[in-house]
Amino acid sequence: MNATSLDTFALIAPELVLVLAALVIYLGGAFAGLRSGWLVALAAIVTAMLVAQGRGTGVSAGVTLDGFSSFIRWTTLASGLLLALVMAGDLFVAAASRGPGLRRGGTCEEAGTFLILLAGLSLVGAAGDLVLLFAGLELVSIPTYILLGLKRTDARGQEASLKYFFLSLIASALFLYAVVCLYGLGGSTDLGAIAARIRAESTGRTVQALLPLAIGLGVVGAAFRLAAVPMHFYAPDVYEGTSPGNAALLSTLPKVAGIVVLARIISTVGSSASPELLWRVVAGLAAVTMTVGNVMALWQTNLRRLLACSSIAHSGYLLVGIAAAAAGPAAAPGLLSAGGLPATLFYLATYAVATIGIFGALAYLGHRWPEWTAGGGARPPRHEIADVDDLDGLSGTNPVAAFAMAVFLLSLAGIPPLPGFWGKLSLAVSALDVDAGAAIVSGSRRAWFVGLAVVLVLNAAIAAAYYLRIIAAMYFKTTKRGVQADGGLAAGVAMLACLALVGVLTLQPRALVAAASRAGEALIPLTPPATTLLAPDATLATGR
Amino acid sequence: MNGFSPSTHLVLTIAAPLIGAGIAWVLGSRGVAAVRQSAAVTTLVTLGLAGWLVLRYLAEPGTAAGLPYALSEVPWLTEGIFDVRFSLGLDGLSLWMFALAALLSVTAVFVSWDAITDRPVGFYVLLLVLEAAMLGVFAARDVILFYVFFEFTLVPLFFLIGIWGHEERRRAAVKFFLYTLAGSVLTFLGLLAIVLWHASHANVVTFDIEALVDGTTIHPLPMTAAGGWLQMVVFLALLAGFAVKVPIVPLHTWLPLAHVEAPTGGSVDLAGVLLKLGIYGFLRFSMPMLPEATAVAAPWLFGLGVAGIIYGALVALVQTDLKRLVAYSSVSHMGYIVMGLFALTPVATEGVNLQLVNHGLSSAGLFALVGMIYERFHTRNIASLGGIASRAPWLAVFFMLFTFSSIGLPGLNGFVGEFMILLGAFQRAWSGVSPAWQFAYLVMALLAVAGVVLGAWYMLWAVERVLFGTSREPPRGGQDSGQDAADHGHAAATADRCDLRWHEVVALAPLAVFVLWIGLAPGTFLRPAAVAVQRATAAPAAAFTARMQADSTGTAVQASTP
Repeated sequence: MNATSLDTFALIAPELVLVLAALVIYLGGAFAGLRSGWLVALAAIVTAMLVAQGRGTGVSAGVTLDGFSSFIRWTTLASGLLLALVMAGDLFVAAASRGPGLRRGGTCEEAGTFLILLAGLSLVGAAGDLVLLFAGLELVSIPTYILLGLKRTDARGQEASLKYFFLSLIASALFLYAVVCLYGLGGSTDLGAIAARIRAESTGRTVQALLPLAIGLGVVGAAFRLAAVPMHFYAPDVYEGTSPGNAALLSTLPKVAGIVVLARIISTVGSSASPELLWRVVAGLAAVTMTVGNVMALWQTNLRRLLACSSIAHSGYLLVGIAAAAAGPAAAPGLLSAGGLPATLFYLATYAVATIGIFGALAYLGHRWPEWTAGGGARPPRHEIADVDDLDGLSGTNPVAAFAMAVFLLSLAGIPPLPGFWGKLSLAVSALDVDAGAAIVSGSRRAWFVGLAVVLVLNAAIAAAYYLRIIAAMYFKTTKRGVQADGGLAAGVAMLACLALVGVLTLQPRALVAAASRAGEALIPLTPPATTLLAPDATLATGR
Repeated sequence: MNGFSPSTHLVLTIAAPLIGAGIAWVLGSRGVAAVRQSAAVTTLVTLGLAGWLVLRYLAEPGTAAGLPYALSEVPWLTEGIFDVRFSLGLDGLSLWMFALAALLSVTAVFVSWDAITDRPVGFYVLLLVLEAAMLGVFAARDVILFYVFFEFTLVPLFFLIGIWGHEERRRAAVKFFLYTLAGSVLTFLGLLAIVLWHASHANVVTFDIEALVDGTTIHPLPMTAAGGWLQMVVFLALLAGFAVKVPIVPLHTWLPLAHVEAPTGGSVDLAGVLLKLGIYGFLRFSMPMLPEATAVAAPWLFGLGVAGIIYGALVALVQTDLKRLVAYSSVSHMGYIVMGLFALTPVATEGVNLQLVNHGLSSAGLFALVGMIYERFHTRNIASLGGIASRAPWLAVFFMLFTFSSIGLPGLNGFVGEFMILLGAFQRAWSGVSPAWQFAYLVMALLAVAGVVLGAWYMLWAVERVLFGTSREPPRGGQDSGQDAADHGHAAATADRCDLRWHEVVALAPLAVFVLWIGLAPGTFLRPAAVAVQRATAAPAAAFTARMQADSTGTAVQASTP
């Protein structure tokens, strides 16, 4: 063991903590139950956070620890903590009730598998090397298959896990082709070396032939993880067929991985001639994805299907920032250069908080009793909350959960001053900022991004329609049916923690915006302000 | 009082309803009486604070010259490209609307006194949150802060309509929210575009409204094909949100539904304050920041205003539902305001600023009275009402007063505003427009006058059918309906039960005071706003005149060439 590998171990110490804890859980699973598995997992995540605290930057053996990767690491750990609570609560449901299809008991290996997933995602963020990047992505995918498969045993659950499994394999294979193309171009697996090589030979025939292929395949591979068009259609079926905890997981962690992949692609090929292609592809996908997701969501009656469509739409919003980031580096430098990547990362965080909160609330609520009057025969069995109708009158029966859900939904809809609004504000600014000051001429880059911003805000208005439908069910209807709220306290705690986070981000979004800016600039440096470009008025600049 | 600076005073006035909402929530377990009393105290205290602030504003010598007052700011999101500040202040444009919001909130609470029995805590908490948002939107001096309050007013009203509204409340609430949101998201983009344009030319990022007005004066947004008509594009984006809010015909379809289904307290706030946000937005953003685009759009919006007057009046004429009639009368009266605003003459725009308050008073009063009638007779159907004047004389007195205010009887506030607006419209028709436009302007102004007659017709006809005539004794919910039907003709005997109760008088009397006060001494209210209004509209008026001159010389040249 030489000094270099010790350095590498030091850099990824938090991930090692997670993996070690996973091993402990796997070994101890023979002797201990489910609950202790999740307790160990929670403790491991907190320990990883403590270990990650104040760790500096460094590069060693393909691991790049900078502002970007530490932002991803913290996002992973924080959402991992919340998700673990949701999933733990989720498990208590399975243990306590006999809902159809939900497996009773379960094993504590689930908690270990979840920890490995987190470690993989954190490594994806730190990967400066193609091999590590791919390995990290697989460390995210494989545990996901297991978690999906472990959770439910009914036909729908099996359909969900199989569908996810096969599509994920295809996406991984496509991404592997992109990796091969990049390796062929760069002659190295190191992303920095590939970027340098592409920059040097940007007009070469190999680059011109292979780079578009690499970009296309890489984007499609990322689109699967984001649940973005053209790889979006699995989401409603899979979300519907699994538990709220798994749905929460699917709607956040893979999206983080997808964004990281796209950001890495931009930082690698951004200096060549192809960003033109890249931003056009991503901007097109963004517009289609948010519209498709929102329009699909309008017709859904099943809550988890609806939230799946909404998560597709949010991937579209995220892609707006990615498109702006792709257009950014080669742009005639804007004076402000808001940068799309910081906006995307910030939006991702605000979205994750609200989404985990909603699924946490659903997991916490658990079941409801059907309409039943005394003397009308045997009381029918309770059923899992599945449809929007099942939330009817929730404000009367579970006011805290209804309030929290309403706040999360309004945040997702982007109603000010909730965090979702700050997120959409950053995304809209990043899109409008591309070539700001240039004329809006048909077909120009400026026109594309102004159009994209318009599509973004109109989609926000469309999305409000189905979010309001849920709020209307909770607040405007009354019902005699009771909601059980038997989903376990842990999920309730996650819901309240998300509510508190939403409150903090509403009043003080500044710290997270700053962190996202640092993270984005670490990966894609923004061009310094070009003061002479637009002949600024000196008096105004100094006078104010 | 050294520690009580105007800035603190303003912040405290906006925070007071929120504190009151917290208290009302805590008192929730004590029952409906405690909650509504605390809400009433809160709105009265807020009104007191607001009134005192207005007096301090008027006493400050600088404000007459148009200086903003009671400034305060706290950084909110000042990071990277953002420079969003929680900055508040009052000036001539916002002063009266701010006061009106505080005044109407008192009315909204007192008209809900007996009407709201279901979940009163939620109702009063939302009403108070709405008050804070309404006060905040007029005091905001930061673009994003304005937008935050502007949008946030939707949330409490959405719940107020959806939970405590009438039969079709759910549809009304959702339609109201989505319609307004769809428009205002484009306004949001337009505002961002202005900020970014300014930033890329002045090399400094600011979201401060005043700085943006100055900046866009030095670096106007391009209004040429080479510049992509950016100014026009941004104007249309802002228009999308403001026009829905006003509402300008044909974007008014959400309004009758929302008004009819809303609980009375919600209608009062909606008609009295929230409709004005659109006009306020034009005065605050579109006109000073985008003067040339405003000048281009002015004739068309002037025409849409007139269309709104006539259309609203004609539709109001055939309504069978009293509340719907008042709602359409709002469409019609907002048409006057739009017309006056885009006449772009000093008299008209000052009249607009006053008429915002006038319409707020009269429409809020009428909606409150319709609510009281509904509480008594459980119907709003004009055909089933009648003879209320003999049974509830005081209700009739107030109804007549607000009706006369609404149709512009001289001596009351509505007359002053409508007169100034019509005067300004005719001034515009006679001066400063090219011959090609003159005929069109004259016809439109004459149609607007015809609208006054129509307005008197539908309101007085409704008053005649509802207040006078034979007492029809509409079906009354509750146990005494059968008895009522039995002793026909003894309606007068129930008059004491029928007339206004103390809390209803509290709700209406302050409005009535201002209806008379503004009508008799309009100068008191016009003067503090004049400088700010002139400053906001000077640039578009100048641009309009320049355009019309270019137009007329252009036609003259064309005529002389062959």
